[in-house]
Amino acid sequence: MKGAAIEAIGLGMTYGRKRGWALRDCSFRLPTGRICALVGPNGAGKSTLLALAAGLLRPTEGTVRVLGSDDPDGTRARIAYVSQDKPLYPQLTVADTLWAGAQLNPAVWDRAAADRVAAPLPQDARVRTLSGGQRTRLALALALGKRPDLMLLDEPMADLDPLARHQLMGVLMAEAAEHATTIVMSSHILTELEGACDYVLLVDGGRVRLGGESDDIVAAHAVLTGRARDLAPHTVVEARTTGRQLTALVRTEGPVDELAWEVTEPSLEDLLLAHLRSPDAPPLLTPSAHVPEGAAA
Amino acid sequence: MSTLTFGGPVRVLVRRHRLTLRLAGGLALAAVLGMAALTLRSSRVSEVFVASGCRVDGADGNRDCMQVARNYLVSMATYNSLFDDVAVFLAALPVLLSAFVAGPLIARELESGTYKVSWTQSVSPARWLTAQLAVPAVLLTAGTAVLSSVLYWAQSYSDNPYASEWYTWKVFATTGTVPFAYLVLGLCVGALAGLLIRRTVLALTVSALVTGAVITAFTYLRGGLWPPRTLSGRTLNPVSDIWWVDVGDLDSSGRRLPNDLCSTAGTEESRLRCMADQDIVGHYLDYHPASHFWPLQLVETGILLALAALALALAFRVLRRRHG
Repeated sequence: MKGAAIEAIGLGMTYGRKRGWALRDCSFRLPTGRICALVGPNGAGKSTLLALAAGLLRPTEGTVRVLGSDDPDGTRARIAYVSQDKPLYPQLTVADTLWAGAQLNPAVWDRAAADRVAAPLPQDARVRTLSGGQRTRLALALALGKRPDLMLLDEPMADLDPLARHQLMGVLMAEAAEHATTIVMSSHILTELEGACDYVLLVDGGRVRLGGESDDIVAAHAVLTGRARDLAPHTVVEARTTGRQLTALVRTEGPVDELAWEVTEPSLEDLLLAHLRSPDAPPLLTPSAHVPEGAAA
Repeated sequence: MSTLTFGGPVRVLVRRHRLTLRLAGGLALAAVLGMAALTLRSSRVSEVFVASGCRVDGADGNRDCMQVARNYLVSMATYNSLFDDVAVFLAALPVLLSAFVAGPLIARELESGTYKVSWTQSVSPARWLTAQLAVPAVLLTAGTAVLSSVLYWAQSYSDNPYASEWYTWKVFATTGTVPFAYLVLGLCVGALAGLLIRRTVLALTVSALVTGAVITAFTYLRGGLWPPRTLSGRTLNPVSDIWWVDVGDLDSSGRRLPNDLCSTAGTEESRLRCMADQDIVGHYLDYHPASHFWPLQLVETGILLALAALALALAFRVLRRRHG
């Protein structure tokens, strides 16, 4: 079995007694070398999960093991993290920020990689004068300059125009392909990530509801259309009747009766949306997303 | 790993606060140059006065000397008040440092999220905090050392009739080891306040108030930090240059009575009657001789450093608890 980029066991995080759990009972595994979409509605716990993996927060309960290590200080140099608000030191210039990246990562800094991404930026402009998109670009340059094994990107593309988004996505994908970097990107807009990602984690209400290779997750489900009747033995995620016609998204358990149902493959987006609309649907983790038995010990 | 990532955070911190550092450096340089100029000027005024043969107490009997002496005293008072301003600034420096560390240095990073930039490079939160504290600690210790010695030199260089006594807070809190202990305390209180409060303005205010309160409290507690010497008897003949801590009356059994029991008596006769009624037979004086300067300084320094160590340990604990 390949190594895990992230392994969460019973992970829980609360920001204070009155505010409830941002994340609870999270157990999943993300194999290395994947490009993973971390999706879920606003407030689902995506940012908390990424901050925990980046070693910015200490979990209230459970553990998160990153790149095979429990010690965030040991893995810090191998992880890059870009948070949603793209914090950068506002009084530094673009050139100073890249210089700071080199100073703070002396062992791993790859100046050429950082400069490639930051090249279109005005080098002498102060960070506080940059637009949202320019800040994103600079934050990504800082992240790529580390030549990380794992990139954690929290809503990385939200501030970018479509052209810049396309271009930066291309840079990220090239980096990932060349260095077998694991990338986790969160978004609440799935279309932003579909096509680029081969792995998916759906977080909702502080829990992981779906996790695994996008293809396997799609293949585990089917849209059945036909006359209304019992759907057993399949697990129903969402069903809708129009007159006598029943359309259902099911998690297939065994072969589908192709005579009784018209079977189509759902799109990943439809599948995720159906899960978000049906909070009672049981979670599904594909084998690669399961934390192996005994890992908790 | 640990050795090669320590210079980086320090250099980045220095570059980020370049403007503040230049301003503070400029201010310190101006203070040193100003004090030096003032010292030379006041020693010149002293020399001219000595050369005139006049005396401030008028014992020379020369009427022309009155104006000369008055001019001399006015000049010296002016210079002395300027030196006092520097002393007040030095005494207040730990409060400024505390506010700066708590607010702009720590809470603002937590508030604006820029700490995430540092912590997700190859720098751990503990090392980040160490760098944040080490830079101002080193710079301000050096700055205080320079200012404190220049001030001390300036006041001893020219024979100033208005120089403050060693036990006044302006002298005691700006010479010896105490000013450095206050700096360290201000720094550690600032770190703790910044990490706990995480909001720039509030952290800055609370930290300044706490540090200021400690400084103020010690101006009152200071006298009790080392056992004073006592003079007692029918009449007291204290030498000069001592710090009067407590003074009062004694009755025949040796019991201490407050100083002001008979102070409301209108006439000498009623005062004597009052003293007889109260059985007052003598007076006492608790005082610190000038030789107590160092014991007092060191005890106060020790207490301040212990408080600082406590605040610093709590600060690192808060950091580890929240952020691993």
